[in-house]
Amino acid sequence: MSKKHIRHIVLILLFISALSMIFINSPLSAAEDVTAIQGGDLYTITGGIIKNGIILIEDGKISDIGQNIAIPEKAKVIDAGGKVVMPGLIGVGAEFGVIGYPDINKIADSLDPFDFSVSLALASGITTSMVSTGRPSGDSPIGGITAVIKASYGDVDQMLVKESVVQPVMISNRDWLRKTTFKQNLREAQNYLRKLSEYQQAKGKNKAAEPKKPRDLDAYFRLLRREVPAVIPASTTGDILAALEFVDEFGIRMVLANADEAWIVAEEISKRDVRVIITPRQKRRPNEDISGPSGSTLENAAILKKAGVKFAIIPPSTYFETWGVVGRDMMALPMEAAFAVSGGLDEQTALEAITITAAEIIGVADRVGSLQVGKDADIIILDGHPFHHKTFVETTLINGKVLYEKSKSIYFAHITND
Amino acid sequence: MRNICRYILFCILAGGISIQATAEEIIAIKADRVDTVTSGVIENGIVVIVDGRIKAIGNDVEIPETAELLDMPDKTVFPGLVNPSSRIGLSRPATGGPASNPHYRVIDELYPHQDQYKHVLGAGFTTIGLLPGESGIVRYYSGYGYIFGGRPSPGITGQGAIIRPTGQNPQEMIVAESGFVTIYFQANDKVNSVIKSALDSAKSKTDSTDPKVQPLVDALQGKVPTFVMCNLPGEMLHLFKLLEPYDKMKLVLLAGTETHLIAKELAKRKIPVILPAEINFERNTLNRINVPRMLAEAEVKIALKPESDNVGGHEDFLRKIAELVKSGLNREIAKKAITINPAEMLGIDYRLGSLDVGKDANLLVLSGDPLDVGTTIDKVMIEGKVVHKAPLGETIDE
Repeated sequence: MSKKHIRHIVLILLFISALSMIFINSPLSAAEDVTAIQGGDLYTITGGIIKNGIILIEDGKISDIGQNIAIPEKAKVIDAGGKVVMPGLIGVGAEFGVIGYPDINKIADSLDPFDFSVSLALASGITTSMVSTGRPSGDSPIGGITAVIKASYGDVDQMLVKESVVQPVMISNRDWLRKTTFKQNLREAQNYLRKLSEYQQAKGKNKAAEPKKPRDLDAYFRLLRREVPAVIPASTTGDILAALEFVDEFGIRMVLANADEAWIVAEEISKRDVRVIITPRQKRRPNEDISGPSGSTLENAAILKKAGVKFAIIPPSTYFETWGVVGRDMMALPMEAAFAVSGGLDEQTALEAITITAAEIIGVADRVGSLQVGKDADIIILDGHPFHHKTFVETTLINGKVLYEKSKSIYFAHITND
Repeated sequence: MRNICRYILFCILAGGISIQATAEEIIAIKADRVDTVTSGVIENGIVVIVDGRIKAIGNDVEIPETAELLDMPDKTVFPGLVNPSSRIGLSRPATGGPASNPHYRVIDELYPHQDQYKHVLGAGFTTIGLLPGESGIVRYYSGYGYIFGGRPSPGITGQGAIIRPTGQNPQEMIVAESGFVTIYFQANDKVNSVIKSALDSAKSKTDSTDPKVQPLVDALQGKVPTFVMCNLPGEMLHLFKLLEPYDKMKLVLLAGTETHLIAKELAKRKIPVILPAEINFERNTLNRINVPRMLAEAEVKIALKPESDNVGGHEDFLRKIAELVKSGLNREIAKKAITINPAEMLGIDYRLGSLDVGKDANLLVLSGDPLDVGTTIDKVMIEGKVVHKAPLGETIDE
């Protein structure tokens, strides 16, 4: 090969690299897939409210957020002037997107992206849920499987966020056998784990046999390793305190569901860093047979907040319903949080209870629950304050894609705020 | 391939016998209009039938001297209707958990002596694809994520059969012996693993003596079609994923009422669909939707079947098709969707589904256009023999 040839080749290579540099750095080429939401009040949840802000979305994630951001020329712009922009709501247990076949072992195989409740979730501003199927059967305290899914209508591949996020546990004051079984199994699992770690540390030094793994205790191992929290329905003070025993003895993570009387033992819950799921409007009669305080109060949320307990809020029904009593199902999730506000809770915490705190409880706060750079672009645009009774969801985006527009909705398009 | 060989063998044998026994049986039909479905309408057409097969068709065809002439100046001749998936005349399938039963043959269930078959014949159906396991009529969707009602056992449900609704015993009714393999799919990990392990057991084999494996070998190699019943459009997305590794399979989808939601996916994968002939409501609304039209416009090949699996459903059928055409379904596609398309899906289009030279003379003599609601079916002919004459329900025994 002559020198001339080599020079040619070098020149060509230089030319190619120069070209590629131009393309990589050019804002034009990068802007092909950018969406910008412009002009709304951004309720970021974790970083206050940005008035008249801009959000840039690239590859389904939030790439920039703030007031003075240059919008790339080719970006698709969604005008949110005068609107409220906030992260998609998280309905813990909101029932959508799963075909209800009995006894399934894997939620991912039964997801239905065309489920009608998926469209209703989008219309309600709920973009993420923790769904569960099955429940503890017989005397077993544990059972049921869970997954965090998104309401990505029509796209089954975008639905699943995470599987097996919590361990449902059923123990109750009125059911001594379940509590006993739960405790005994945890002890057995703990013993095994201890022996196993002793064996692994002493490996090669002595001739002790490897401890035999007990059967059917995998769920308990995960609890003891703190991989997932136990979700225990505990509405009375007695049930809550009984559940907390397990935190003290085994150091497991815990979420208390339906915790109507949590306000009475808020300090106890706070001390153990246990999370709570509440329904502020839920009514529970005081128990006249016991001495201390009992029953429900609208101030539940406010008292928990004061004690430093983190909680998520869900409505009385976890379905999406187009019939029956209006305002008590998942279609009115912000209204449930507003009940907590009327019980003395600050608005910010109430918003967190249906976004970031709910995301933390179901283990996906790294991806959803707030407007932050790097998080999934699951965003809703509202025509008013989220807690105002007249507010409608106007637009819902999941992973940067517009999946719902009120103006095209079969249910809500005709309702105007004038 | 085996089918075709068998068929050729049968032709040779049958031919031989007829030469020995009797002279050729020749019929010539002269009608106002002959609708071939595949190659247009022939005005003042002539169909020459020799020994049950169409020998010639056109309007300048010579009528043999020995032919029995049926001169019907004001009638329309149309191919016999093909219902690709039905359980008419069969009992309710057993319910239960997921199972793989490819060795199960629906033909063993058949009771030939039933009035239902006479009525179905009178409604113009000359060919029926019988399904094991499930009727393939799926119209319910999940409300709030739950499926209501008891359902038959999902999994691999067995082998279907192609029959003509006339005959004294199962052998006389069978058009083609080894029909197709049927699967009832549910988006559910247990059903997934049952189907997958059954298919994988047959995947590496080319020939097997195991009756539980051979049907699947044929299905995997595309020798026979595989009919998959699937309720919800969301489930079909799971189905495509499950069957992705088995790319030679000839899939036919027995789909539900919301199939338009995945029309693009079906068109991309070129999967033909069997739908009930009905106008539906968009879910939770009173908005009416014509799903067959939507699929046809997305260039998905469709076959239509009666919306209910009883005599009434079959007798109403042409009126329902007319309704679909009235609300926008292309007329030509509608005609194909009840004749040649279902025949193709059953893998029997080389014999049935249109009026073409060489095909079985399965045809209807109509008083007018098949999609005119006032039209009556005057005669039904299977392989050149008149098996039914109006009024409805009056069947002619030979």
